[in-house]
Amino acid sequence: MVVLMLRWTVGFLCGLCVLCVLLSRAAAGDAQPPQRRVIRITAERFTFTPSEIVVEPGEEIEFRLKSDDTAHGFRIAGTPVNVVIPKRGRAEMSVTFRAGEAGRYVFECSRMCGAGHNFMRGVLVVRDRTSRATGQ
Amino acid sequence: MNFEWSTARHASRILAVTAFAALVASDARGQAPSADAGYPTTGPISGYMDFHFNKPEAGDAVLDFHRFVLILNHSFSPRIRFVGELEVEHAFVEGLEESGEVELEQAYVDFLVTRAFNVRAGMLLVPMGIINERHEPPVYQGVERPFVDTFIIPTTWFDTGAGVHGELPHGLRYRAYVMAPLNALEFSADEGIRNGSQKGSESNVRHVALAARAEYVGVPGVTIAGSTWTGTSNFLAPRVDAAVRIAEADVRYKRDRLELRSEFAQIWITDAARLNETIGQLTGVSPNIARSLRGFYGEGAYRVWADGPARDLMTFVRYENFDTQFRMPSGFLPLKQFDRDAWVVGATYYPDPDVAVKIDYVWQRNQSSVIKAPNSFNIGLGWWF
Repeated sequence: MVVLMLRWTVGFLCGLCVLCVLLSRAAAGDAQPPQRRVIRITAERFTFTPSEIVVEPGEEIEFRLKSDDTAHGFRIAGTPVNVVIPKRGRAEMSVTFRAGEAGRYVFECSRMCGAGHNFMRGVLVVRDRTSRATGQ
Repeated sequence: MNFEWSTARHASRILAVTAFAALVASDARGQAPSADAGYPTTGPISGYMDFHFNKPEAGDAVLDFHRFVLILNHSFSPRIRFVGELEVEHAFVEGLEESGEVELEQAYVDFLVTRAFNVRAGMLLVPMGIINERHEPPVYQGVERPFVDTFIIPTTWFDTGAGVHGELPHGLRYRAYVMAPLNALEFSADEGIRNGSQKGSESNVRHVALAARAEYVGVPGVTIAGSTWTGTSNFLAPRVDAAVRIAEADVRYKRDRLELRSEFAQIWITDAARLNETIGQLTGVSPNIARSLRGFYGEGAYRVWADGPARDLMTFVRYENFDTQFRMPSGFLPLKQFDRDAWVVGATYYPDPDVAVKIDYVWQRNQSSVIKAPNSFNIGLGWWF
């Protein structure tokens, strides 16, 4: 009888330990910085949808890019971001980007895609913290 | 003297705007130091090809390598870019004989200043209609381009010029160019203004034409657009007041597997009666040019297979109505065989998103009781790279 109670006690304590470990991991997860924001962009001759994106300074963005026709490029001017978006039906391209200083950053197709290639541009707006704080 | 002053004034304005844009575009302030890394850069070469089998109902079948197009591009910097498009039509070119053509369809430099304001100069595509600036074979349905984009809007329509383009807030895009005008002495009853393009070959710019297009792309899947062209076209016949004005509207809608598009275009030619008389005196034959030409079409396409490469198949049906003798000048009767309409039914199979295998059948009718419009069966292979 004593042995049985001992076994139950040990089992209970082990279960408690496992629960504590799981809870502490969950708590540690809560303390992590917020998850990166995912923005999906569809490229098609000769537009990006959406073509205007607003982000916060310092925000980490994951662009998920897909094409609805041929292969396109995705380049954010003034940054190292420059990737090829695979053709329709092929894989989605994912690229991360941390927004820097406030301003307007042009993104564009960097792979010749047809007669209107140079029209294929968009803008990434990094908001100005001060203008938001003052309600401007 | 007035003409010369007018031309000089136009030219000086164009040069001033282009020079200003070049100055601003060459100023890289506001960009990170890494922005110019990797420039200048050239290529890679891209292009498209179009290979057709056409079998008219009452004629021999033909195999035609319709278009062989190479596109070259070079970026001097992120803001200054060149694009050139060289085309061989119908595969074979020989002087003084009816055969193919070599055409420089595009050769321009873009000065990219801001998203809303950019300047372009050189050999330009006229910003008119759905097809003229979007003419790669996998982009449109049907072996041949729509009739309206052939007989009313003379695609591929290009000439020398300069102008501005950009994208404004709320999904508005625009292009506005000053371009070389049409030569009205080359207009005809069956093909309208098609042969009037000077194609940038020492184009006469005693007068200039204005071309503009606005597009709304603010709602995903929807494009609503309108284009206009206006230009005096009488430089070889100064006594004829032959001005050409074109108004065009088009809409495209795409959702899931469904794609719809529609286009309307109308042309007005002033002083068409005197233009006919003048050409009649020069050639001995009156060309019977209309004072107004009109065309429209509607097309529905459905992606039967939508599983990506090797399983992508679209079917389509298109109705077109096009009349190059829509309104005649006083004293001239319309040639009814040029009042035409057509049903085009077919399919496009995409073994790769950039390769289109096309098949269609064209039922064509006209209003003539004497001359019958030819039906045709067509197969095409087009690709982009």
